[in-house]
Amino acid sequence: MTQAPDCTFEEFMAVLLSREVRDFETSACGALSFIPAMALLLAEASHAPNGDFIILDSPAYNPFVGPKDFHYLAQRGQLDLFFISAIQIDRHADFNLHLIGDPDAPDVRMPGQYGTGLLYYAVPRIVLFRTRHDRRTFVAKVDFVSASASSPKGMARRNKEVVVITPMARMELSRELGLLELASVHPGYTLEQVQENTGFELVLSGKSEGEARVTPFVTEEELTVLRTVVKQRMIETDTYGDMARSKIRDP
Amino acid sequence: MGVPFVPTLGYAGSDVIKDREDFVLAPNPFNPEETVVVAKAINPDVALFHGTKGDLQGNVLVSRDGEALMIAQASRKVIVSVEEIVDKIPQDDTDGTFIPGIHVKAVVHAPYGAYPTACPPYYEMDDAQMKRYLEASSSDEAFSGYLREEVFEPGSHDGYLDKMGLRRGERIGEPVG
Repeated sequence: MTQAPDCTFEEFMAVLLSREVRDFETSACGALSFIPAMALLLAEASHAPNGDFIILDSPAYNPFVGPKDFHYLAQRGQLDLFFISAIQIDRHADFNLHLIGDPDAPDVRMPGQYGTGLLYYAVPRIVLFRTRHDRRTFVAKVDFVSASASSPKGMARRNKEVVVITPMARMELSRELGLLELASVHPGYTLEQVQENTGFELVLSGKSEGEARVTPFVTEEELTVLRTVVKQRMIETDTYGDMARSKIRDP
Repeated sequence: MGVPFVPTLGYAGSDVIKDREDFVLAPNPFNPEETVVVAKAINPDVALFHGTKGDLQGNVLVSRDGEALMIAQASRKVIVSVEEIVDKIPQDDTDGTFIPGIHVKAVVHAPYGAYPTACPPYYEMDDAQMKRYLEASSSDEAFSGYLREEVFEPGSHDGYLDKMGLRRGERIGEPVG
């Protein structure tokens, strides 16, 4: 196959996110998370049938009464993977969900981070994602550090891996360097295009042997499962049902 | 509650706690090589929140989706407004979280006390009024106008409900929708 099958933007992002989910783990997403919810259910219906899945906006996938129950589960180390989106992400994988501009006189104030400052420490694997890849999002230094990937000395931290997924590329945090490294470029984009749209110098992953890897194509199989089992499940369980109807195509 | 602080995992290295005197990094007393973030307790003099039911002993029932019980246990004086007053709320009432009257200083009968936000199953959020509130919040001038029209001119909660066309007594106690 030389060309990716035709799909919606949401389908494309959900497939990439679902590949980060592992079998036998507990994976979760927060509120207002249509794309991660699709990704979790796609993983459940394909490569992670023994996983536990928590979708806070879904009555069928939210086992909790109040928000603290979810945070306690994460603090105990029982949540393996969590998806976080942010308005700014910097080269150190610090992210910003609070404001744009000068923190003392911001241009824009956002609703804030809810519990992600805790989850960034407590959850072993964090997937940061963004539905755009541009210099406004990928900045050298975030305007406000909502949560930092680096910890003060001696700090208890359970997080081990940070992955960033965008419409153009996949990045991984190198703990050794304290920097995001480019892991792969999605089909249809070049390394130069990714660099052009990133506000800091991209470092190639040590695994890439001097050349940027290409993200594996979205497959027909992934799209078929998404458009049949996952779409139906989302509608039946009232898990972003309306969005599933409009953003996931019919098989 | 009544404890002086609570340890937590996370937040270190962020700007969220940078200028906060109520969050500090401290050694874990049980493992001094490890550093933890410690949050100072909040012990309010007075707490106000809205619940669904209150009874003659001052027990109240509140939504389970929140931390009202913890707030009640942490505060010196607790005042709860409720949709309806009943003779006795059973401790195992499954419609919400039971807060014992020993924590509660006063119960106020205030139907539509959460309006225009929601108080299920009594009423849903009034989206049009919330939109108006959000728009008014965009500037000091617009917000002064909002306060004048929605708060000061009606003069009281009853006056506000009259202005909104909400009839007390009729629907209270009957789930809406």
